[in-house]
Amino acid sequence: MSFVFKWSPFVTSAALGLTTAVMPIVSHSKIFVSIEQAQKLIFGQTVLTLSPVVLNEETRKKMKDASSVSHPFDSTHMWRTDKGEWFIVDEVVGKHEMITYAVGINADGSVKQIEILQYRESYGHEVAQTEWLNQFVGKTAESNMKLNKDVTNISGATLSAKHLTDGVKRVLVMYELALKNKPS
Amino acid sequence: MMRHIIFRLGTKLVLAFALCSSGSAFAGEGTFGWAYTLDLQPKGSWEIEQKLDLATGQSNGTYNLLKSRTGLEYGLTDDIQITGYLNAYSVRANKNYTQCDDWKRRCTSGFAVPGWASNESYSKSAIDGGSAEIIWRLTNPVTSPIGVGLYLEPTLGNTEDSIEARLLLQSNFLDDRLVFAVNLIAESAKVKFDPAETTYESMFDIRYGVSYRFQPNLFAGIEGRFHNDFSGSIYNAQTQRANFIGPNLHYADENFWVTAAWLYQLGGTCWAPGEVECSGGKVLDNHGKNQFIVKVGFPLP
Repeated sequence: MSFVFKWSPFVTSAALGLTTAVMPIVSHSKIFVSIEQAQKLIFGQTVLTLSPVVLNEETRKKMKDASSVSHPFDSTHMWRTDKGEWFIVDEVVGKHEMITYAVGINADGSVKQIEILQYRESYGHEVAQTEWLNQFVGKTAESNMKLNKDVTNISGATLSAKHLTDGVKRVLVMYELALKNKPS
Repeated sequence: MMRHIIFRLGTKLVLAFALCSSGSAFAGEGTFGWAYTLDLQPKGSWEIEQKLDLATGQSNGTYNLLKSRTGLEYGLTDDIQITGYLNAYSVRANKNYTQCDDWKRRCTSGFAVPGWASNESYSKSAIDGGSAEIIWRLTNPVTSPIGVGLYLEPTLGNTEDSIEARLLLQSNFLDDRLVFAVNLIAESAKVKFDPAETTYESMFDIRYGVSYRFQPNLFAGIEGRFHNDFSGSIYNAQTQRANFIGPNLHYADENFWVTAAWLYQLGGTCWAPGEVECSGGKVLDNHGKNQFIVKVGFPLP
């Protein structure tokens, strides 16, 4: 089959049709919160100090086993307060893009607050709403955290809700294994 | 030649597409070219989808069958999706069969080519009809080891009326970036594009594929088709068997998605009374040596 592409009335009308189709489309679920903004939302004016850690393979394996999250954990985006609280930024796989979120952890290892930093998907912006995120407050590494059982699902955003739930579990397990007894 | 086909069909399709887009909604995300996954529209959401499917190249001459489907999808519930399709086609054929009625001469034949055109070149572009599709997701592959769904699609058209049922199976791995999908497909059709002859056919196919999201927004994979045609509306006697395989590429973001895929016919066999549909170790009819599809979908906010 030989086919030489040339500009034609069809191409023009196709472009017009496509443009018409796209024009009503506006940005869908885009949520952007900077790390600094999330720190203030969770810890107010409390001073946070960047405190990255190096995780060994055994710890990483335990984190994966407990959470089922395969995407590598970046342990460089971690801050702590002088009271032993932690602010940790992580990302999980979303439907199309990565979902970036921050977990504030109390000194006793329980979730203080969660903020969604970046979410760019067609549906499921409810993952950033306080009502849904508040389900995680008080959870620890020992808590059961299964979507549809311990954590309610979000209509049309099952993948995002599941991955965020698993991601929070991974962060809490990481805290238990690598941060809990870390000297300041 | 191809430009001619595309041009004639294009104006109608673009008009339909533009009309739909100027309303309020447009279509569920198709990672594969032909195999369905269990990724459905959320409850209350709309999406429009445009598919262009080209089967091309038979044993001789020219055969291009371009099918267009413009679909409007709606999430009835989070696990039930309904779709309405406007179907159109364009066919261009010329001396593409090697063995015809007298088993010696070449002739013009194939799906959408009426018998009277046997000794000449034939082309036609037309709106074919419509389809209604419903998918019921019984288990979600994101939260279950195996996702299971049921699919039903009746079609009314000028070329054929049909009813197609699918059992959809899907498993996800590696944070849902690796997707395996299998569709078991049964179809019964009343084929009527030739005013001189109406026939009944049935089909059993297995479509399968694997796709991997190798970076945000981009999936690539392979998919295949194990195709079986039968005479009669209830699998009276097998007339065709063929295997197809090829790559697919899928891009998606929050505003739209697009999928391109190619199937190459590895080979096929025909049996009576459909021997004429085979040549050079490949099945013809509505198939080609190659098949291409481009699909695009626009979810609405």
